[in-house]
Amino acid sequence: MKNVRIWFKKVGAARYISHLDLTHCMARALKLSGLPVWYTQGFNPRIYMTFAMPLSLGTSGLRECMDIRFTEDGAPLEGVAEKINAHLPKDVVVWGVTEPANKLDAIAFARYGIRLETEGSALLKDKIQGLFARGPVTVMKHGKKGDKEFDITPYFSGMGMEELGAGCLALTVRLPCSVSGGVNPGLLLEALKSYEGLEPCGEITREMLLLEDFSEIS
Amino acid sequence: MDLQDKKTSELSCDLHDNSDKNERKLALSHKILMSVEKPGRYVGGEVNAVMKDPSKVEVRFAFCFPDVYEIGMSHLGIKILYGAFNQVPYFWCERVFAPWVDMERQMVEHNIPLYALESGDPVGEFDFIGFTLQYELSYTNVLRMLELAGIPLRAADRKDLHNIVVGGGPCACNPEPLADFFDIFFLGDGEEVDLEVMELYRQCKKEEKGKEEFLRMAAQIEGVYVPALYDVAYNPDGTVRSYTPREGAPAVVKKRVVLDMDSAYYPEAFPVPMIEVVHSRIAEEVLRGCIRGCRFCQAGFLYRPFREKSIDVIDAQCRALCASTGYDEISLSSLSTSDYSRLNELIDRLHQWTEKDKVSLSLPSLRVDGFSPELMERIHSVRKSGLTFAPEAGSQRMRDVINKNVTEEELLHTVDVAFTEGWTRIKLYFMIGLPTETKEDVLAILELGKKVVDAFYGNKEKPKGKAVEVALSAAAFVPKPFTPFQWFGQDTMEVLREKQRELTGNVRSRRISVSYHGAKTSFLEAVFARGDRRLCAVMEKAVEMGLHFDGWDDQFDFDKWMEAFEACGIDPAFYANRTRGLDEVFPWDHLDYGVTKEFLKAEYERAYKGLTTPNCREKCANCGALCYKGGLCVEKREDMV
Ligand code: SF4
Ligand code: SF4
Repeated sequence: MKNVRIWFKKVGAARYISHLDLTHCMARALKLSGLPVWYTQGFNPRIYMTFAMPLSLGTSGLRECMDIRFTEDGAPLEGVAEKINAHLPKDVVVWGVTEPANKLDAIAFARYGIRLETEGSALLKDKIQGLFARGPVTVMKHGKKGDKEFDITPYFSGMGMEELGAGCLALTVRLPCSVSGGVNPGLLLEALKSYEGLEPCGEITREMLLLEDFSEIS
Repeated sequence: MDLQDKKTSELSCDLHDNSDKNERKLALSHKILMSVEKPGRYVGGEVNAVMKDPSKVEVRFAFCFPDVYEIGMSHLGIKILYGAFNQVPYFWCERVFAPWVDMERQMVEHNIPLYALESGDPVGEFDFIGFTLQYELSYTNVLRMLELAGIPLRAADRKDLHNIVVGGGPCACNPEPLADFFDIFFLGDGEEVDLEVMELYRQCKKEEKGKEEFLRMAAQIEGVYVPALYDVAYNPDGTVRSYTPREGAPAVVKKRVVLDMDSAYYPEAFPVPMIEVVHSRIAEEVLRGCIRGCRFCQAGFLYRPFREKSIDVIDAQCRALCASTGYDEISLSSLSTSDYSRLNELIDRLHQWTEKDKVSLSLPSLRVDGFSPELMERIHSVRKSGLTFAPEAGSQRMRDVINKNVTEEELLHTVDVAFTEGWTRIKLYFMIGLPTETKEDVLAILELGKKVVDAFYGNKEKPKGKAVEVALSAAAFVPKPFTPFQWFGQDTMEVLREKQRELTGNVRSRRISVSYHGAKTSFLEAVFARGDRRLCAVMEKAVEMGLHFDGWDDQFDFDKWMEAFEACGIDPAFYANRTRGLDEVFPWDHLDYGVTKEFLKAEYERAYKGLTTPNCREKCANCGALCYKGGLCVEKREDMV
């Protein structure tokens, strides 16, 4: 048995399918790939797959990963990506296959890009800076134990910001993201709405999954 | 934070731009997609979706399914025709589904025209706009989709050889309530006739012919009905006097039949939805038609003759579809798969590789007399969770009237076997409002339910420690064209409600539950099933009033529908509840599905006498479908020689 880490991106049309749908797409592609994938044992055998961290509906992922197993220790990793890609939707693309170095539950943070676009507001940048300069920015955080008030300032105040053109802003932010929970980058959009009445188009991309020391998982 | 330096934000810019150079454009913006319930319905991009270069195709066909993505993507017909059209290099067929109400609102608000999933191009740019007509209550969605596409609803307002609106499917057997909106209806199997019409269009386009000439020529192709070429006259009492063809159109339009199922086109691949749909599995059509002439069942008459595929062909097609989709379930589809003549042999053959490949087999429905523990062992079913059968009527008398040749004994034997095998939940489907039905017949539904419960308690090998649950479901009967009950006046809604009350008010066991389905929707279905061209005005009015998704309980608005009828001065009861004279001319009499009106009349009379008619395998009843010279009709005769 050999553990294999599959690196992929989920972009374009595939952004709009749920995590569960993604697992089905992957299972079908792995089945058709002809690779020696390992099935769980028992009454209802399934292809063994463990995903690092589910992506929310609508969020792109660029350096996502999942683990599978090969039944043969010596199975080569060359050519594996092509074999899977041949059966995946166009917007789910495997771009790397490695032997895992870190455990998936060692993921502690993720880096996100948020692209904000609004009609004719060069003020977008000022408004965001102003928002965090004023003090606590609280939004409702939806958790397992119900909703509660949550100050997002410590997480977002230091984010990177770049103007890409009129009314178009690229933000970069690192947020907690682990099996025990995380901070959803979408909370920023909620804050902009409730504090500033702004509803820009916000496209969120998870760029990288990070360990405790901010290095990328490998 | 170390992240926030210049370098990473440059990198992030880069990363944000995840558009491959050849990335397919999405027709809708991210913001709109994020504002609706299930955005995955609207983005396409599935495995096996067919992409072509629009500059290299000559005819573009928008295949429209007038319901949501999850339902349309589970429909077999669209998969067959999508594959058949796209096989031709210069045709490109794309899929279009009805946007759910939340998305429809967004599209209207933002002025976004209805688009095709593959290219994202507006439907208004297509040569053909084709609808599959499965269900009368999807008609408003058809018109709504044309409206969203920005296409004039009435065929007469579309003057050019472009945006040809066509329709096929079971409801095309009486398409009159839609006649003013469509240019062409296809009768019968579409695999061949649709392509012939597309080819004709291509020629006409090349020769710069006009739409009228194209339609005149199309009407000469067997299976093509061009409604505009028929003048309708009515009698003073409102019934149809005559249909008169014009400009050389045939007096009677015959349906098309693909006789040899083995050589008929069947796709080797079809788009695999990225999101969960109603049926996430392979559908392999094992036969077409049905040998049983249940008198209420339109499909049973429309799809005659009964034709099977050979085991070799089914096996090869299943292998190809497994290899192209990655699905792990194959449904052996048809109207009545248990009637496949060599079902056990077929399953044996498929099992030679499906088990190894971890693929399971399923049957869409089970006949009461087609159930055996061996069969259940070998096909996938929701193990132990519930079994469903359709005796259709509670009393034997009633079952004889409708020619559902199932006996109480068979049903009780079957459930007994099922209990022994460990099932405890049984669901039984019935109809109420059937011709000649009495109160006793209705109450017999409950008695049958009770007998099933008793069978459970009388079974010594029943599962220990579990209670039996019997769910009885009663739908209101809708008389349909091309059935022996096409003359029958549907029970009024009051009568149906009274019968529903009889059912729900007399349940004597806590192990039995009763549910019934809408008298109002059935009424509307009955109006449109046997309607004529004058209903086009009502359709138009209904759409104008915002009616759509009538098949969805949460969208159906009966009062508004009645307003629409009223506004057009049309009495819906004339169509639904009136018992028709045996010599009445029907709005579908000029359409020929092989089964003769004389045969249907004879069956209608036999029904009222409680006489059953044997199935095609037992004895040919000479229904008329022999005229196609194929399928079981001919095989039987060869046997006899
Ligand atoms: S068995 Fe009866 S109800 Fe079923 S498809 Fe055949 S004719 Fe119709
Ligand atoms: S002609 Fe005879 S065998 Fe053929 S469909 Fe009709 S009744 Fe059945």
